[in-house]
Amino acid sequence: MDPLIVTQAINVLYGVSTLAVLALGLAVIFGLLGVLNIAHGEFIMIGAYCAYVAQAGGWPYLAALPLTLVVCGILGAAVEWIMIRPLYRRPFDTLVATWGLSLLLRKIAEAMFGLGFRSVSIPLPGTVKLLGTEYPIYRLLLIAISLAVVTALVIWYGRSRTGSRIRAMVSNPELAQAQGISVRRLAAGTFVVGTCLAGLGGVMVAPLVPVQPFMGLDYVLRTFFVLIVGGLGSVSGLLSGAVAIGGVDSVISAASNAANGYFAVLGLAILFLWLRPRGIVARG
Amino acid sequence: MSIQNQGPTRRTLLGAAAAGAALGTLPGLIRPAAAAGEFKIGLFAALSGPASLFGPTQKACAELATEEINKSGGILGRQIKLIPTDAGGPPAESTKSAIRLMLEENVDMFVGSHDSATREALVATIKGKVPYIYTPVYEGSECAFNTYVIADTPEQQIRPSVAFMMKDRGAKSVYLIGDDYVWPRKCNEQAKKYIAENGGSVVAEEYVPFGAPNKFEEIVTRIKSAKPDMVLITLVGADNVNFNRTFAGFGLDKDIARLSLLLEENTLLGIGPDSSSNLFSSMSYFANAPGEANKKFKAAYFAKFGDKAPQLGLIGADCYGGIYCAQALATKAGGTDAKKCMAASEGLTFPTAAGQVTMRGRHVDKTMFLATCKGTEFDIIKTFDDVKSGDECKA
Repeated sequence: MDPLIVTQAINVLYGVSTLAVLALGLAVIFGLLGVLNIAHGEFIMIGAYCAYVAQAGGWPYLAALPLTLVVCGILGAAVEWIMIRPLYRRPFDTLVATWGLSLLLRKIAEAMFGLGFRSVSIPLPGTVKLLGTEYPIYRLLLIAISLAVVTALVIWYGRSRTGSRIRAMVSNPELAQAQGISVRRLAAGTFVVGTCLAGLGGVMVAPLVPVQPFMGLDYVLRTFFVLIVGGLGSVSGLLSGAVAIGGVDSVISAASNAANGYFAVLGLAILFLWLRPRGIVARG
Repeated sequence: MSIQNQGPTRRTLLGAAAAGAALGTLPGLIRPAAAAGEFKIGLFAALSGPASLFGPTQKACAELATEEINKSGGILGRQIKLIPTDAGGPPAESTKSAIRLMLEENVDMFVGSHDSATREALVATIKGKVPYIYTPVYEGSECAFNTYVIADTPEQQIRPSVAFMMKDRGAKSVYLIGDDYVWPRKCNEQAKKYIAENGGSVVAEEYVPFGAPNKFEEIVTRIKSAKPDMVLITLVGADNVNFNRTFAGFGLDKDIARLSLLLEENTLLGIGPDSSSNLFSSMSYFANAPGEANKKFKAAYFAKFGDKAPQLGLIGADCYGGIYCAQALATKAGGTDAKKCMAASEGLTFPTAAGQVTMRGRHVDKTMFLATCKGTEFDIIKTFDDVKSGDECKA
């Protein structure tokens, strides 16, 4: 097959799978808790800076993972406790509050690291021959990790006790509370999982993009689009949203140009908000 | 809202008219008082927004020039007061600031280091009422009344560097990639002429939306299959970093040269040592450019700001020349009268970070450098002396 088409096909797969993993944290926080977390991109940014700090400190790249979990975990818990807890079930208020939070986090990053670009070197540089075309190894690895992370979360959410408790909390908080589930603690834990997932997404993409305080803005729009198009509160919604947004963007960018790809993404999001606001997979 | 308040009453209308009349006469009342005092320069710099990483350098370099000029007596005996103003947001925000600076602060001059979309908006707002000096790199052909350009033009930035890449490096086919706004599109129009002059060909021309969260896997794949000898890059900031990292990530840097038209020290730090091989930049200033003038400028810069000095680069160092241009212009014209400034600008000489320059046709002839990237440092491989702006404006 034509190597151009093969490479573009892998690009589409790459676009979809990384978008799914980047949207995962938002899917948990927005999809399950109903919190419109505008600061989602900033948690991705924090993860990327954790990768930078780990690398600048001379540690192996994998050391960025525990660092990010600690930083995003503590930050997520503090934010949930101080800011989000009084605002559950008030989606618009959470939007305004997390918007303020995103400004604050960006300023903190600016104060700590300055506005300049930081570059994180690729832990696995080079390309590998695949189906007759050279493709960067690290990007292939990201596809595999993204699929693994999403699959693991799907299984955990579907099979574990905590998963079923969360589902109970999401569908009827009062009844869940009456059943002896501590909704407050469970919600806090869910929020922290969301911020940690965002941070992990940041560690994954850090070597590929400019790391700077504003980088989160690049992700917040696309990840929200994924949930709008896919639908809230289900894994199939997340996946179909990622396939629709990431796929449309990559396919049209490959077939014509990036401007049309971006235009199609915006058009798709508007169409869904207008005609099918509950998304492809409406929560049942 | 109550029913009484639904429309303006006769009294509020009269009040508004009176206030309007008062506002109209105010600047006239203030101007003579201000004229005797400070010489106010409105400095348009990127204090917020995606370009704001340049802001600290722009401010620092302008402050350095201001301090030096004030120590030696100021402009026409008046001390300069620098008013840094944000031009990092949308152009409409900058034009609002321009109006405020003209009406409330009565600024004597404007110096601006920002993108071309903002420049066009500012030119249309200032309307030549206050001299306006534009400093970074740009696409050429700005000949608005009472507007002075010390920025690198395509004739200076693109023509010699493209000719060198094609003749010396054998780059015959070129792929053009840029952000979608006025600077990249007009630069590429010029670049196509220069490429044709050297017997080369343009393989493709492509633009990505400016300010959108762009990704470059698909574009880099397209470039790979088009197999050009060189890519001419008019992407800016984060897009430039992102593109170059993706380009090298796909292993294209070995066979295809890249010439970027807005690649300075900050951007190169983002691109990083693993993605910067076979990458070239053409500009009138690099922090490590040779020459006595730059040595003196850097000594003064680091003496003033010390270890915490913001990263030096063309975007920032241009403001140093901008302030000196303002001084030279006002001194030679004996004030800021538009017609006198226009006349004085011809043959005007003033210092910049890179050395003394002379203004002709409200543009500047200058020495240009072509650098290749070694890790995150620039290595100047070619110097083009006294390159004409090619953009001389008629009076």
